[in-house]
This record gives sequence, structure tokens and C-alpha cells, in this order.
Amino acid sequence: MQITSEYLERAIEQLSKLPGTGRKSAQRIAIHLLKQNSDYALSLAQAIVDLKEKVTRCSVCGNVSDSDPCKICDNPKRDPSAICVVEEFNDVYIIEKSNEFRGRYHVLGGVISPMDNIGPDKLRIQELLKRVGEDDQINEVILALNPDAEGEATSYYINKLLKQYDVQVTRIAYGIPMGTELEFIDEATLSRAFASRNSF
Amino acid sequence: MRNTHTELLNFRNHVETKIDWAPHLNVITGPNGSGKTSLIDAIHYLCMSRSFVSNTDMYVVNQDESYFMIKGHFEGQIRSEFDVSCTYSRGDGKKIFVNDSPLEKLSDLIGMVPVVTLTPDDKKLTLEGPAERRSYIDSFISQISPGYLRDLIEFRRVRKQRNSLLQEYRGPASVLEAYLEPWNVQLVETGSRIVAKRYEVLEKLKDYLEEDYAMISGMDLTTNLEYQTFCTPGSDPKEIEKAYFEELERVQAKEIEREITTVGPHRDEVVFYLDDFELRRFGSQGQHRLFALSLKLAQLHYYSDELDDLPILMLDDVFGDLDLKKTEILLTALQQHKGQIFITSANPVPFKDYVTFDGENNRFYKVENGRVEEVNT
Repeated sequence: MQITSEYLERAIEQLSKLPGTGRKSAQRIAIHLLKQNSDYALSLAQAIVDLKEKVTRCSVCGNVSDSDPCKICDNPKRDPSAICVVEEFNDVYIIEKSNEFRGRYHVLGGVISPMDNIGPDKLRIQELLKRVGEDDQINEVILALNPDAEGEATSYYINKLLKQYDVQVTRIAYGIPMGTELEFIDEATLSRAFASRNSF
Repeated sequence: MRNTHTELLNFRNHVETKIDWAPHLNVITGPNGSGKTSLIDAIHYLCMSRSFVSNTDMYVVNQDESYFMIKGHFEGQIRSEFDVSCTYSRGDGKKIFVNDSPLEKLSDLIGMVPVVTLTPDDKKLTLEGPAERRSYIDSFISQISPGYLRDLIEFRRVRKQRNSLLQEYRGPASVLEAYLEPWNVQLVETGSRIVAKRYEVLEKLKDYLEEDYAMISGMDLTTNLEYQTFCTPGSDPKEIEKAYFEELERVQAKEIEREITTVGPHRDEVVFYLDDFELRRFGSQGQHRLFALSLKLAQLHYYSDELDDLPILMLDDVFGDLDLKKTEILLTALQQHKGQIFITSANPVPFKDYVTFDGENNRFYKVENGRVEEVNT
């Protein structure tokens, strides 16, 4: 095989490093880009550069943001008494879409997982404790981590550390998703749903 | 539950095989290496998502090909009719489909079609180490309790995390203890449920085992089994939790030193007895064989009583090992089982004297070089 364009080859090489993109897809994308006008290529390149240069992390909650503090932490209309603890910034995005929660967030940047060499010291847990300790307005911390082994361990660990502060620690309810029928729910979910039932 | 039709593509030496099965007894004969076991192993794949012969899916693929596919049509009481298919290719791995929709987790398949398998390897159950018995008990209970299987998967995950923590952590012991706590809580919660369920099932199994051993051996030796775990087992998970926490606390220093989880159901043992003698230490070859056979029949009868539908029973090359008298007893017992049965045997002799192969309820098949032919008489 003879390569006639080193540039094309280099683009394919870079694109194939993207998640979920194999060499074939990378080839298709590169050839597609080659056929576009240069405005599009430049704006795509600029978007990628901006992603690295302009997007930062909010020093308060750890969420991705163009400004520091982020728009949520900076918004006086948000409820200052509640913090919702999530694993990653995309969880913030998901909860925000529901428009249900009007408090502020705390992004941990992961969950405890010794297998992947992630201990509590690698997460933004100390920052959370500091926030809760310094801000008297906060009276509820809502844990919204995934109900798997790692999420549970992290919730347990944080709950224990928060005991020294005068805040209520709650967790989101686990149970039956909307729009499904009881017969399709697995036993574990059902027993969780029963355990956390509430009065009508 | 019944498998009415199976299709195999590139599955060991079956390049393309399609068979309709009888609702009751299916006897498959043929020379060694002709592909008898592969036929029932394919059905096993559709019930348990894996082979009962080989540990690696790769070796099951026909050697000239890069993938295999199996399809089966099932009928039964719990779910009236459904299709299960399983594909494997070297690149994509294994996928299971139920009625053409892919299963998210392979473990979701377990229990849909309960199956009991008798093989010459069953001797290992009583002869070899505790791991053999644990894995048998786990597959036994998983087929009748999805919650148990979920707990097993969860427990394994938590234990792996906990072991990683014990191995990787370098720092003060007090911090490690705080780091261990969230894992201990989950280890105890899932582990205690596992112990309680094992206890409950094994207690019930005792009676079945005694009855089936007496039937097969024709002797009045009393069988027994003892479930050994880190505490006196019982059926209440809450009480086990208490003992588990105490035990973890007791061994904590040792676990930190040895960097591994030493207490839990992953160290359990089931000891079998014949007339108060420990079978593993004092049993003869013949006793081991009959005990293992009775254990599997006990499983069959347990399932039949416990479930709303009858399990599928598979006997792979079991008759070669038995004398005429035992063969007769076993065949009589099989006649009493109303569910579907698959038997492979290199030697066709014993069956035709006891069973009528009418092509309706019972069918007789001959396999040669991966080709199957129905030959009822």
C-alpha cells in the first residue's frame, strides 16, 4: 500500500482514537471532512480548541463551566439550603433537564473503586465537607449516586463523614420507573421500592 | 419446559443441523466423537448461556469457522412459547436473544428454562475440593432464585473491590479501616443473604437426597449433608449479618496482613455423609458415582416440586458407567419424570427394552459425523 496523503492519514489516526470510533469510521469521517468547505473545518477545529482552552471546572461544585463559579453556583435564585451530590458532570445535566431540583450541586468526579485505584482521596469529598462546614445555609445534602456497589460504598462513606455536621443527609429514592408495570420489575428493585415506600 | 426445535450452525462438528425433539424422551446414540453431546450442549447454551462441557466459547466453534449460532424454540407453563438464540463470534463475543431481542446481561437468561445435567464429570462434585460443590450449589439455586444470582454477582464485585483495597492500600491502618467499612457493610448484606438461601435450599435438599440415594443404590445407607460456613447457618439473614460483622472484626488484622477477604460464603463447604462417614474421605468409587447421581436426581425432584414447570433433564453418557440393575432402576425413575429428557449414549442397547420409541412422545436419534437421523422403531 502507498499513502498519497500523510495529512489524511494523520487525521484518520487522530479520529480513530475517539471513543466508539474504529479505523473504518475514522476513515469515513476524515473523507467527509475533506469534502466540506474550509469554514466548517475551521469552526470544528476552533470548537475543539475552545473545549480545551475555555471550558474550566467550577471551583465550588466541580461542574464543567465557562465561568468560575459556574452559572448554577452563581445564580441567586437557586436554593442555597440543598446540595445534590453526583458522580459526574453529565449527571448534573440529566437532573437539570428534569427541572425538579432547584438547589446546587457537588460533582465528585467519580466514585470509590479500589479496583481502578480510586480512593476517597481522589474524589472531591474534602471539598464537599469544607462547603458544608463553612456554609451555614446548607441544611440538606442529597446523595444521587448510582445504586451499584461503588455508588453505595461512596454514599455510605460520605454519609458517615457528614455526621459531624448539622445537616440532613438524604438519598434519592430507588424504585419503580414511571411507565412500567409491576410484573416487569425485578425482585431487587421491588424490595427496594417497598423498603422506601412513603405514605399516601 | 420443553425444547421443541433446535438449530445449530458451526457448533463443533455440526455445520448445519436442525432437529425436532419429542416432548418426553429423546435418546441420541452414535459412535464416540460423532456429535451427540454437542446436540444437548447446544440446548444447555440456550438454558444457561454456556457449555457444560467446555469452559471457553471459542473451542465450541467449528474449527473451519469463526462463529457459531444456536436457536431453540421452547414451550412451557410459565411462558407459553418463546425462542432463544445464542451467537458467538471471535470479534463480538457471545450474545443471547430472547424472541429476537438481545439480553442486556447473560445472567438474565438463567432460570428461564431450568435444566438439570447428569454427566460422568459429576463424580468431581463429591471427590474434589469445596470449590466444585460451591459452584454446583450456586448454579442449582440461581436457576430457581434470580435474587440469589444477583446477590452472588454483587458479592463477587464487592469482594473484588475489597481485595483490591486490601492489596493496594499503603497508609495508616486507621484510614484503611475507615475505607474498608463501606465495603464491609455491602459484603455482609449480600453475603448473609447468600448464606441464608444456601442453608434454606440445602436443608430441603437433604430429604430428596436421602430418598433418591435409597432408590438408586437399593441399599438403606443414610445420606446426609452438612453446610459449613463462618457461623452456625440459619435462614434469617439478619442473624447471620450479626455473626458476619463480628467475624470480620475478629479477623481484620489478619486480613490486612494477608491482603485478602478471608471470611464469607466464598469459603463455604458442603460435606456429604453416608451413614455418618464422610464420603469424600471414606467413599468407594462406586459410592461416589451413585451419590453424585442421586444428588442430580434430587435436584430434578426438588425443581419439579418447587417450580411451576418441569425442568429439562440431560444425561450425557451416564449409562456406560452403570451395571444392568442400576440402568434399569434409573430408566424406571426417568419414566416417572413427566418432563423432557435428553439422553446421549454410545451404546444403544439398554433403552429399547424399556421404552417404546413411537416417534411421538419418545424419539430415537442416530448421529454420525455431525449428521442426525431419527430412527424410531
